[in-house]
Amino acid sequence: MLKTIAVRIVLGILTLWAVSVLIFAATEVLPGDVASAILGQGATPETLAVFRHELGLDRPAYVRYLEWFFNALHGDLGIAMTNKRVIVEVIAPRFMNTLFLAGYAALIAVPTSVVLGIIAAINEGKFIDRFVNIISLMTISVPEFFIAYVLILYLAVQFEIFPSLSTVFPEMGFVEKIYTTALPAFTLTMLVMAHMLRMTRTSVLSIMSQPYIEMAFLKGLTRSQVIVRHALPNAAAPIISVIALNLAYLIVGVVVIEVVFVYPGVGQFMVDGVTKRDLPVVQACGLIFAGAFVGLNTIADVLAIMVNPRLRHPR
Amino acid sequence: MKLFGYKPTSTAWLGLAIITVFILVAVFADVIAPYSESESVGQTWDDPSWDFLLGTDNIGRDMLSRLIFGARMTIGVALVTTVLSFLIGTTTGFLAAVGGTVIDQILSRIVDVMLSIPLLIFALIILSVFGSSIMTLILTLAVLDSTRVFRLARAVATNLVVMEYVEAARLRGEGLWWIMRREILPNALPPMISEFGLRFCFNFLFVASLSFLGLGIQPPYADWGGMVRDNGKAISFGLPAPLWPALAIAMMTVGVNLVVDWILSINSRPSGASAEM
Amino acid sequence: MEEYNKLKHMFDKGALSRRDFMSGVAMIGAGMAVAPSLLSGTAQAATPKVGGTFRIGMEGGSATDSLDPRTYSDSVMIAASLCVMNGLVEFDASGKPTGELLESWEAKPGAKEWVFNVRKGVKFSNGKTLNADDILYSIAIHRGETKSPAKGILKQITEIKKVNENQIAVTLEAGNADFPVILGDYHIVVVPDGFTDWQKPIGTGGYTLESFEPGVRLVFKRRGDYWKAGRANFDMVEIRNIQDPAARTAALQSGQVDAINRLDPRTVNLLMKDKKLNVVRTKGTGNRFCFVSRVTEKPFDNKDLRLALKYGIDREKIIQQVYNGFATPGNDHTLDALNPFYNTAMPQRKYDPDKAAFHFKKAGLGDAKIELQASEGAWGSAVDCATLYQESLKKAKINLDVKKVSADGYWDNVWLKVPFCAVYWGRRLSADQTFTQVYGSGSDWNDSNWRVPEFDKLIGEARAELDDKKRKELYFHAQEMIAEDGGMICFAITDYLDGYAKNVMGADPHARYDMNDDRIAEKGWFA
Repeated sequence: MLKTIAVRIVLGILTLWAVSVLIFAATEVLPGDVASAILGQGATPETLAVFRHELGLDRPAYVRYLEWFFNALHGDLGIAMTNKRVIVEVIAPRFMNTLFLAGYAALIAVPTSVVLGIIAAINEGKFIDRFVNIISLMTISVPEFFIAYVLILYLAVQFEIFPSLSTVFPEMGFVEKIYTTALPAFTLTMLVMAHMLRMTRTSVLSIMSQPYIEMAFLKGLTRSQVIVRHALPNAAAPIISVIALNLAYLIVGVVVIEVVFVYPGVGQFMVDGVTKRDLPVVQACGLIFAGAFVGLNTIADVLAIMVNPRLRHPR
Repeated sequence: MKLFGYKPTSTAWLGLAIITVFILVAVFADVIAPYSESESVGQTWDDPSWDFLLGTDNIGRDMLSRLIFGARMTIGVALVTTVLSFLIGTTTGFLAAVGGTVIDQILSRIVDVMLSIPLLIFALIILSVFGSSIMTLILTLAVLDSTRVFRLARAVATNLVVMEYVEAARLRGEGLWWIMRREILPNALPPMISEFGLRFCFNFLFVASLSFLGLGIQPPYADWGGMVRDNGKAISFGLPAPLWPALAIAMMTVGVNLVVDWILSINSRPSGASAEM
Repeated sequence: MEEYNKLKHMFDKGALSRRDFMSGVAMIGAGMAVAPSLLSGTAQAATPKVGGTFRIGMEGGSATDSLDPRTYSDSVMIAASLCVMNGLVEFDASGKPTGELLESWEAKPGAKEWVFNVRKGVKFSNGKTLNADDILYSIAIHRGETKSPAKGILKQITEIKKVNENQIAVTLEAGNADFPVILGDYHIVVVPDGFTDWQKPIGTGGYTLESFEPGVRLVFKRRGDYWKAGRANFDMVEIRNIQDPAARTAALQSGQVDAINRLDPRTVNLLMKDKKLNVVRTKGTGNRFCFVSRVTEKPFDNKDLRLALKYGIDREKIIQQVYNGFATPGNDHTLDALNPFYNTAMPQRKYDPDKAAFHFKKAGLGDAKIELQASEGAWGSAVDCATLYQESLKKAKINLDVKKVSADGYWDNVWLKVPFCAVYWGRRLSADQTFTQVYGSGSDWNDSNWRVPEFDKLIGEARAELDDKKRKELYFHAQEMIAEDGGMICFAITDYLDGYAKNVMGADPHARYDMNDDRIAEKGWFA
């Protein structure tokens, strides 16, 4: 077991390295560079040349990558080419913000969807099942900005319950942060719940036809007991997988939410960086996202192994 | 009435009805639609009236006609994309689970890398290398979506791979592909079918999300996801414009998934707990 | 005109505050040209009150923003720079240059040699007194070996030197009667001689920079000893970057900010109904939206095709559908009606599908398809405009293919490169700048690639001409040439639309940019 985890971690680090090379190569390949992106209409061959020389962009690609790589190993993620800020200083609070919002939404969404999914499975075919099903289907078929706009319209503008701007600042207290970010957290919850809920329900129901389930019923257990004690652990693998995917989405895929609620996370930072071809910024964000994915997937894999005895003791 | 030998439940009938209506609308669009797809015939964001049953859109085109024509692009593109992504994702996912640790690690790491590269960069690369067209759009989305399918397929298959009957098949000397097709696939169907139903509808919106990059449905063709995007602002002023395409997508989602649920309930063997208990 | 006279009457009698008068005028749409010149002679503006925290929600910023003047390209940084620093030349509400840190100036006949007087007694926030060295340095960073976009417009300076502590002399390569306008470019702001710490700029402005999170927020604090009386009246100013228009509007409506820029013209009528808000409209001086074809590439080298395309666009419809009436039709050149040299003799070109079909047939291109590339990257609603254009050309039996291209890298890969694409131009304050930059043979930005020696001669003459009447003739002719022969279809000039809370004073329309020329934090106050 420990060996598996250790191997996973090493592979994870290798993945991070591969991601860094790929993102670097990808951004290089894209037409345009930071000089032309910043200067925009003001770019002429002369101004471009000066800008590029200032940033050392006239050196060959592998030189620039290796320099970045060695610095990164020492924890120095470099300086943004666009505005000369120290990247670690800028990205750390943004990453904390992203984690805060993701955690806020996850803490509400994950338990709720799994529990609701189980309830739906227990009451299969009854009203509560169909109701939960249809509502969750409708929430995921709507784009995120749509839910966001509706929530802002009703809860922030017409009835001023929550603020429409969810920008958090370091000087804010914990309770104030919770209040300020309530709307985006709620939006995100609605976006991810349906997927996890449906997968829980489906997974559990598909196990229900197994012989050992019939055995459990014959033994006299109630439907709830059967589902929770016998079906759920065996249905866990796909559920965990979907939860991990959605958690990763909460960290990496919420740029639109950040824009609509003006929330300073890593997503918008990366999009701005890509648009302006600010390589060090893009690299740093890429590392963070890759780290999040790899980390979450590893945890999901390990959990899936732990839950299934057959995988725990391979022959 | 029976369908393929099974009796549909009431919700399944509802789902089937919705899907049929939308497909008919898509096929007979030219005949049904009151106005053309692209002509601006009214004021911007007009309220529904007898002239324009669902009002007008962001440049004054009839919303109802655009919805009707949009059914073609939306359902067509999303269907092809999802089928492709499932083919790729399921095959690779099963392969990873059945093929041994080395293949598993290689495939998983590749997928992790792909998932970590932000959609924006990925799409931009594809754009600059392959140019923008419907084919490119479909391929890009299919490849990206398949990574999510991969994760699920792999998780499901890993669980199944350790079952006795798989081990038995291996001992019998069955090949990789045989095991994947005959032992894994049938038992992996429920979560995969459920996922197909969801992803099909995710893709309506996924298609539209790349439109700002020019990787999308070119004007003046309508597609529901794009219509929600173009009209989105109106909702923040209490105007109903984006509600109509959003509702269309929601109804399609509900319809497809109700049918999916019914298929799943057939699939569970009638011994013990199954659908109508 | 009736309504306008009524308003003016009330104003003169003191029944309306200056601000309400301006809003009233803006609502009528009487526009800018009439109001300020009449007001400058009449009653005093209300005296500003000091105090309060002014929160602005703006579009036009990014996480890559920097306060280095050589990188300014969009509203948030420009507005921020004007809180902390001052420019050389300011513009009054009608667009005439007035002195800021360069108090006054004189030109020798021929407009080639100029002397500028530096304002005395102005202190930077670090205590240093302003002198000619600071001015020279602040201009020098945009000249020579620099990446600044202002380099191009400053090229015409052959020599610039210090005369004494408070005077500088400038020699130009050719006479330019509008040179002071050039010095008012938003890139040129003044810092102490030798200054380089762009994370914490020091300036002569009314506020000091307290904090700066690029793409998120800037906070400023009132300095107290500002050299301009009656300006910089807020205790604190907060500029928040809000890119999404719906979020911006919601923030204003829910009272989280006091001012926002770039309202969506399609929904502004709803905002106008809100009693707690004030919408300020600047008519006719916003961005010029154009479709430009490169006249050196086939098939756009054919003049009949170009004319067909110009007659085939339904300007009124686009203005109605996309901008809800908040724009004026362009006449296929980039000068607007508020400029004194605007050609009023030329009739406004209208949508004429018959003429378009006629010219298209004459061009002899058969059934050929024309491709127009447009993108949200050109401007937000470019694709909508192109789609409507496609429809209107259909009626003239011309097939237009609209290709929606990536917003990313639009200005790098599409503009100036493809034969037919969408482009917008901001307002330039002098006719000379407008014509030279967009249509001059020597300009890097001549996107229609229409280079005509006769035209260059025309505007060269006009540039040095100090007699307004003669100048007008020359510029009128120039506009005719562009509209008839050029490759640009300029179809709309939008209005600027800003939103304010009712208690924000000093929010007047301005001939140059929105938010009172990006200076609302400096010029405004709370009632």
